[in-house]
Amino acid sequence: MSVSVKPRGLIRRRDVTNDQWWMGSLVLLLIAELLYFSIAVQGFWGGGTGMLDQTEYFLDIGVMALGSAFVIFGGDIDLSCGAMASFVGIVMAELWKQGLDIWLAAALALAIAALIGLIQGLIIALFRLESLLVTLATQFILGSLATAIGGGYPPYGFPHSFGSLAGTGTLGPIPLQIFWFAGLGWISFLLIHRTAFGRSLILLGHSREAARYAGVSVSWTRVRAFVLCALFSGLAGVLIAGTYNSVRDDLGDALLLPAITTVVLGGVDIFGGRGHLAGVVFSAFVLGFLYQGLLIEGASQLTANMVGGVVLVVALTLKLTLEQRQGGAALSERLRLRFARGGSP
Amino acid sequence: MSAIHPSAGSLSPRRPNYRAVTVGTARAWLARREVQLILVTVAIFAITTVHDPSFFSAGNISFLLADAMAVAIIAVGQTLVMLTRGIDLSVAPVLGTAALAVGFLAQNHHLTPLEGVPLALAIGAAMGLGNGAMVAMAGIPPIIATLGSLAVYGGVQAIVAHGQEVVTLPPAYFNLGNGDLVSGIAYLGLIGLGITLLFAVVLWFTRFGRAVYAVGNNAEAARRAGINVKRITAMTYVLCGALAGIAGLVFLAHVGSADSTSGTDSNVELTAIAAALIGGSTLTGGKGGVIGSYLAAIFLEVALAALVDFRIQPIWEPAGVGVLILAAVMTDSTTGRPSLRVGLKSLLQRPGARA
Repeated sequence: MSVSVKPRGLIRRRDVTNDQWWMGSLVLLLIAELLYFSIAVQGFWGGGTGMLDQTEYFLDIGVMALGSAFVIFGGDIDLSCGAMASFVGIVMAELWKQGLDIWLAAALALAIAALIGLIQGLIIALFRLESLLVTLATQFILGSLATAIGGGYPPYGFPHSFGSLAGTGTLGPIPLQIFWFAGLGWISFLLIHRTAFGRSLILLGHSREAARYAGVSVSWTRVRAFVLCALFSGLAGVLIAGTYNSVRDDLGDALLLPAITTVVLGGVDIFGGRGHLAGVVFSAFVLGFLYQGLLIEGASQLTANMVGGVVLVVALTLKLTLEQRQGGAALSERLRLRFARGGSP
Repeated sequence: MSAIHPSAGSLSPRRPNYRAVTVGTARAWLARREVQLILVTVAIFAITTVHDPSFFSAGNISFLLADAMAVAIIAVGQTLVMLTRGIDLSVAPVLGTAALAVGFLAQNHHLTPLEGVPLALAIGAAMGLGNGAMVAMAGIPPIIATLGSLAVYGGVQAIVAHGQEVVTLPPAYFNLGNGDLVSGIAYLGLIGLGITLLFAVVLWFTRFGRAVYAVGNNAEAARRAGINVKRITAMTYVLCGALAGIAGLVFLAHVGSADSTSGTDSNVELTAIAAALIGGSTLTGGKGGVIGSYLAAIFLEVALAALVDFRIQPIWEPAGVGVLILAAVMTDSTTGRPSLRVGLKSLLQRPGARA
């Protein structure tokens, strides 16, 4: 079996600098965006709290993006996140309807999600299959399962405590979802950048061959990433259920592509092995406020998606062009060189 | 290389193993994905016909053939892209935009289907060129580039739709989309077959076709052999887009309507990728062909129709597609995957041991 070895160094100084540059740009973009929408769009600012309230409509995407980040860091991809969120939402609601406490139902549904993630990861790792293929198949299967379990009229009207804590509740002016997202983001950060598991994951995203020679159990690390991704996707589903106080068999489907967009815009290499989780957190806010701002401005969902797509492509083109043009130099160096020469590439 | 010492033994160039490529033996034939697909499709047809004789009627066969064609034609384009180790997630809105553009002109200005062909081709090719430029020129990974264009083209489709939908079409479209040449053979099925054979010939016998395989097998080797890798890669995206445009026309003729979410709402891009994968193409490029994709699209259609015939609710259709993808990749004998035993060992072994 031959594994393509990517000709890159591991964690070099310049990667860190690149990440910092990328995150700096994201933060600037976020500030510019918030300023623009606050000034130009009536009803966006809302005295600051109005702006914060809008996070309820996009942080579920952020949570799913955190989950996707695990598999993408490891050089895989998971297309089943969206269907997984729908599935967990439906299973939770049905269990609740059977008389289970809503929180217990959510925990059980998440456990099932983790189990499915485990099976999925095992299939991918044991048969050495392309993750894109297997998760594409799982996505179809989970979609059908969600429809079959939920039926035409899935339950709604969850207990108030659930809708508040997992949905629209606030602590002072700050929506509780921000705390969820911050907590999950912090856990993800620790897992990826502060544990042996995370280091192994990034290493095998760089080169499976190198990871194996370094004594990393490639299969098991990949499996764990898929379990985490399934769990986070499930959590996103729970948050959507809480926010809208209802579930649908396709509630998470629309989140998949924005979530992957968030990860990539966050500066994580789609082939794995490079990037920083903080970038994903920032880009969740950048994209989320962009969508919300456009929607409040009166744009349609399709137009908002379109702008998101343009942002993704432009950002990546810029990044790649700068990286290619200047060969090995750090992004900061490249930017400096580029602009110092009066813009001529 | 002629003066090799006899002791070099296994290093000396051996005669190629012709047995592996001989087409004569039954085993070699059975290992071909195209043959497998035909056999399985016929088997499903036979079983379902025993259950319900009306399944084997000219009307049903013709309908299934016509119904599978939008996906089949997209799968042919997808195969071209996948042969170069790419993927195109943006075909659904390309189909939708072409269907809408042709549909509006047909509805309001009596555009004939034949006049619609160049329009659909042009729209598709232009959108494909966008993808090709991003992938080949800017070097964006195909899955990201087309993820972006999926969103952008979805917006374009909404702009073209402008809140309206195509509902009344000239009868010529209905005849094309649901008519038969002879009973049991739908026009659309033949059009799809023609397109598939055309691209099969292009892939096998033209310089461009061989270059597509070369790029997918090893882009660096292809470059050193004097192939313009960027141009070939970009070309496959343009062709994939153009075929998605034609699929839009086929969709319009068969379904008879189009709106701002046509294509996207039925996940046509994922079904087409599934068809290409079941047809023997791989995500790692250089392997597979368009005939397998065409047959796989028909196979999917027949298998899902059979499910409905056995009173299995249509909600299980996606699950059926998923299971079929898994079955197809796990039974693929030619990928050189390690056995389950090796896989298990690699999972259970002490970290650090050599796999």
